[in-house]
Amino acid sequence: MADINLSFLTLCILPILLLLFLKLIIRPHPVTIPIKSRHVFITGGSSGIGLALARQAAAEGARVTILARNPNKLEEAKASIRLSTGIDVTTVSADVCDFDAVKTAVESVDPIDVLVCNQGVFVAYELEKQEIKEVREMIDVNLVGSFNLVKAVLPGMKSRSDRKPVSIAFMSSQAGQVGIYGYTAYSASKFGLRGLAEALQQEVIADDIHVSLIFPPDTDTPGFAEENKKKPRLTSIIAGSSGAMQADEVAKKTLNGIKSGSFIVPCNFEGFLLAIATAGLSPQRSYLMAFVEVVSAGILRIAGLCFQWTWYGSIEKWHAQKKYLDICCSSTQESCLMD
Amino acid sequence: MSGTDLSLLLLPSLIILLLIFLKLITRPHPTKIPIKSRHVFITGGSSGIGLALARQAAAEGARVTILARDINKLEQAKASIRASTGTEVDIVCADVLDFNAVKTAVESAGVIDVLVCNHGVFFAYEVENMEMDMIENIIGVNLIGSFNMVKAALAGMKKRTDRRPVSIAFMSSQLGQVGIYGYSAYSASKFALRGFAEALQQEVIADDIHVSLIFPPETDTPALAEENKRRPPLTNIILGSSGSMKADEVAKKALNGIKSGSFFVHCNFEGFFMSIMTAGLSPQRSYLMAFVEVVSVGVLRIVALCIQWTWYRSIEKYHAKSKRA
Repeated sequence: MADINLSFLTLCILPILLLLFLKLIIRPHPVTIPIKSRHVFITGGSSGIGLALARQAAAEGARVTILARNPNKLEEAKASIRLSTGIDVTTVSADVCDFDAVKTAVESVDPIDVLVCNQGVFVAYELEKQEIKEVREMIDVNLVGSFNLVKAVLPGMKSRSDRKPVSIAFMSSQAGQVGIYGYTAYSASKFGLRGLAEALQQEVIADDIHVSLIFPPDTDTPGFAEENKKKPRLTSIIAGSSGAMQADEVAKKTLNGIKSGSFIVPCNFEGFLLAIATAGLSPQRSYLMAFVEVVSAGILRIAGLCFQWTWYGSIEKWHAQKKYLDICCSSTQESCLMD
Repeated sequence: MSGTDLSLLLLPSLIILLLIFLKLITRPHPTKIPIKSRHVFITGGSSGIGLALARQAAAEGARVTILARDINKLEQAKASIRASTGTEVDIVCADVLDFNAVKTAVESAGVIDVLVCNHGVFFAYEVENMEMDMIENIIGVNLIGSFNMVKAALAGMKKRTDRRPVSIAFMSSQLGQVGIYGYSAYSASKFALRGFAEALQQEVIADDIHVSLIFPPETDTPALAEENKRRPPLTNIILGSSGSMKADEVAKKALNGIKSGSFFVHCNFEGFFMSIMTAGLSPQRSYLMAFVEVVSVGVLRIVALCIQWTWYRSIEKYHAKSKRA
């Protein structure tokens, strides 16, 4: 009887001790970042997730600026937000790949409290078929473009007069947590954002600037519709393992994550599991979340390996089918449809 | 008594069951990649880790080609390898940023069995102090340069007549496993290599091409000596506790990792732990390593959080001191 009591006691005490320990060691400290009446600057803000973000931030009382390349789409977005929320957002036209244009754009608006680097391009294609030009474009827009934005905004943020906490947020992707067939360039650009974010957080924490990485799954946007037209079949099969979301839902999770100063912001349940599985050496500001990470990391590694097992299985099957069809076609000399 | 017996049996049984399960599900399957008499192509091969790799591969009987920008350094490297191993390596001069030059270089070298994208530039600077053209250079060379190399070599690898397993290896860094003060651009470029590698492995597995990511710590090379001169003090404080390695040691680990077809290749003890911490959704080809990952990743997450605690404390202390001064 005494043995059972002892082990029961240990089982109860250990988690409590762990929670206490985690509460003491997690860094940076937790923080809350208000957005009401503050300046939220959203790139890629004229459509998709960016537009949804702008709409919701405006509805919550933030002063919103949206940046994009196309002035017409910006005007349409502005009108759309005015129609649904009654609020006017500021629009600014620039290409994130052009540092000088970005700097001018940033200087033309008020000091920024929440910078959301949400711009992005994505084209799924096997690397051997993809033009190097397209690879460069994804890395330039998604990654170098974010560096341009951070560099343009940072001096102003550091010397801000309102010393409340501020935020720099990067729109990553579940493809920034695991690389998938067809996404060599896109995953590269999104993984890159994490390296940037981890280093940046250490550089800016002293100025009460807080970095967030948002990891949405496939999201129903014009960009996604475009991408879907040319996606390799295997990519659809493999990426299909994660459910898709609406832009508004992603925007809601994004804003909540930014406001709670979370470093990693998942958008759905699968994303939550992915976030734990890929916690790695990222900072964790919530001791409860840290606890969940510690106790479930092992099981989630098994889950991750299972996912890779299904993905590589799909790849094997696909190639086996293709080989079979190739042999059939060449022997019957008829054209075969391989969809 | 029987209660104790049962629980004594339970643990080993669970372990065996887990091991069997992992052996069944780990993908891609384990593989071995011979390098003797095969063509090993090393970028950034005229100095540092690349030169050490070239030397060791040549000593193991591989046909080695080294690529770099500076023809003089290439000649020196070639002479140095001849002097120490008696073997001739081929040299090819090109800038990895120039896709056409890379394509020409790859075509002139012949079919490649082991491509080692080892070239790289690195500087530590706070992002607000680093010029955009330096950031673009780091991402350009380290990341886009690797895309150029792989794209140039891939078609040849896929069509090769010798159907034995071949390898594409990327020289990453422990800074590609965790981002650190001063390394926003460098860490970005090295983290990106992982996204590239994870996706690439899925695209090329059907052609028996195997991807490896090597994660060395600070390595004693001419490039490191350069970088050291201008590091921000906080970077030094944070990195101060990590061990460094010799280029030869890193090259040895790298070659072993490539030959065993491992996806993650760590180079020292800390690296071993970091690989487990950052296993994430990377593929694991060894069921034993998978077992180690599963049972220790939870505890190692605590260790990782402790490490971040020391780093953020250093940052706090440093700024408090500067403010007083």
